[in-house]
Amino acid sequence: MITAGLDVGHQSINGVILDDGKIIAHLSLKLAGEVNASATVAFEKLLSRAKLKPAKIDHLFATGVGREKVAIANGHRTEMLCHLKGAHRLFPGARTVIDAGAEGIRILKGDDRGNLIHFVLNDKCAAGTGIFLETVALMMKVSLAEMGPLSLRSAGKILLTSTCAVFAESEIVGQIHRGASRDDILHAVHESVALRIALLARRIGIEPQVVQTGGVARNIGVVEALRRNLELDIHVPENPELMGALGAALLAQNSAGGKT
Amino acid sequence: MITCGIDVGSLTAEAVILRNQGLLAYSLIPTGPDSAATAREALEEALQKIRIRPQEIELTVATGYGRVVVPFAQKNISEISCHARGAHYFFPGARTVLDMGGQDCKVIRCDEKGKVTNFMMNDKCAAGTGRSLEVMAGLLQIRLEDIGPLSLRNPGPPLKISNTCVVFAKTEVLALARQGVPLSQILGGICDGVAEQVKTLVRRVGLEEEFMISGGISKNIGVVKRLEQKLGVKSHICFEPQIVGAVGAALFAMDFLQKAPSGPV
Repeated sequence: MITAGLDVGHQSINGVILDDGKIIAHLSLKLAGEVNASATVAFEKLLSRAKLKPAKIDHLFATGVGREKVAIANGHRTEMLCHLKGAHRLFPGARTVIDAGAEGIRILKGDDRGNLIHFVLNDKCAAGTGIFLETVALMMKVSLAEMGPLSLRSAGKILLTSTCAVFAESEIVGQIHRGASRDDILHAVHESVALRIALLARRIGIEPQVVQTGGVARNIGVVEALRRNLELDIHVPENPELMGALGAALLAQNSAGGKT
Repeated sequence: MITCGIDVGSLTAEAVILRNQGLLAYSLIPTGPDSAATAREALEEALQKIRIRPQEIELTVATGYGRVVVPFAQKNISEISCHARGAHYFFPGARTVLDMGGQDCKVIRCDEKGKVTNFMMNDKCAAGTGRSLEVMAGLLQIRLEDIGPLSLRNPGPPLKISNTCVVFAKTEVLALARQGVPLSQILGGICDGVAEQVKTLVRRVGLEEEFMISGGISKNIGVVKRLEQKLGVKSHICFEPQIVGAVGAALFAMDFLQKAPSGPV
């Protein structure tokens, strides 16, 4: 059975095609323009990567904030369910999944079968989200990919005290004026992002294993800071931003009668 | 008796010179990176307007978030106390004071002597503070002082900005502008959002009349009108709402002098 999952987020679209539970194609695209049109384009690209005709797909599920706008999907599931399912597929021991994306943080708790037990989310405030990291990258004139490795060079000499991303921006400007180094500032930024995530995670309790999904998990600086803060190892999939789409494809398979 | 009050805030600094409760002079300048230098500058600017030498000032009290670094101040007092005291100076009937500043927002309840009885503040989140209006003015490329008047030109139903967070609201506002929503309507939504945030804080402390507003945002008619509507009260605003804290500080300086009429304080 061939199923697919499309995860339409705030800033990106991720897609996965499964053949009896095995990933045969995946993609990540920047979201451009209207949601449904973008999703259709993304799905076509995904199909061509898998060298499949649309009719070959038995079932397609959408997830993410834009999930309800994806007309080609056979159904949709919340990103909470999907991220947990995806993470659990790769790390069967996962009990806590931290999904940190462009505009929100979600902490998901699951059981040994990958069922969602409990979750807590912050989608009201930009503190600790990917959009804040993007702003900082622009300010410090580094790429998102460089931020993590650069920050690891710092010994952590400075501390950012603002919660609000808007106030943190002015605090960073202040630090630049005071002569703080780029690496020290990036380190402090990652510490503050990790603190926001950790505070949210502590609200529902953290049970190992912990898996981090979503685009922010690509930033090694944040992951390391989170490891220090939670005093736990954090598992990061090779493609953390694909976990929602993978989960959606797995749930599609389940719903179409296949075994997961 | 001549005293001075200095209020070093996050975005602006004010100096006030009082002689026996009478306001002699004041200044209002943007806060620079060096708070001590900013305080000195504010004092010099106030003194320039009157024929008084710095030595004639008998006591200086500093307030505001930079109050501990004012080199020439003998005392410092929290901005909460100073705002209540300053509010009482301008409007003795004031029992609830809302101070809407650059980086925070405070609601202060006070008694008939201008003493603080309760307060609550938001300094964690930029929503509802002056900073959010500055961000939006920059985004829409208009002057900060034009936001209020322009926002009142919108005759249609009020537009809701659904995001509270300033970072997310920026994206929303940009999208609205691109869709061709009129500027006045967008600004109406922005002012309404600030008023809504502030209203929640006022309600949490409880509103007792008379109601006074101080701080930079009280110069924004768009926010003030909407807030008055939401709360169902009229507000008092003095001729220069940004000096209320500094006036309070100068009044406390006078108290100190009267309690210790001779010798150093």
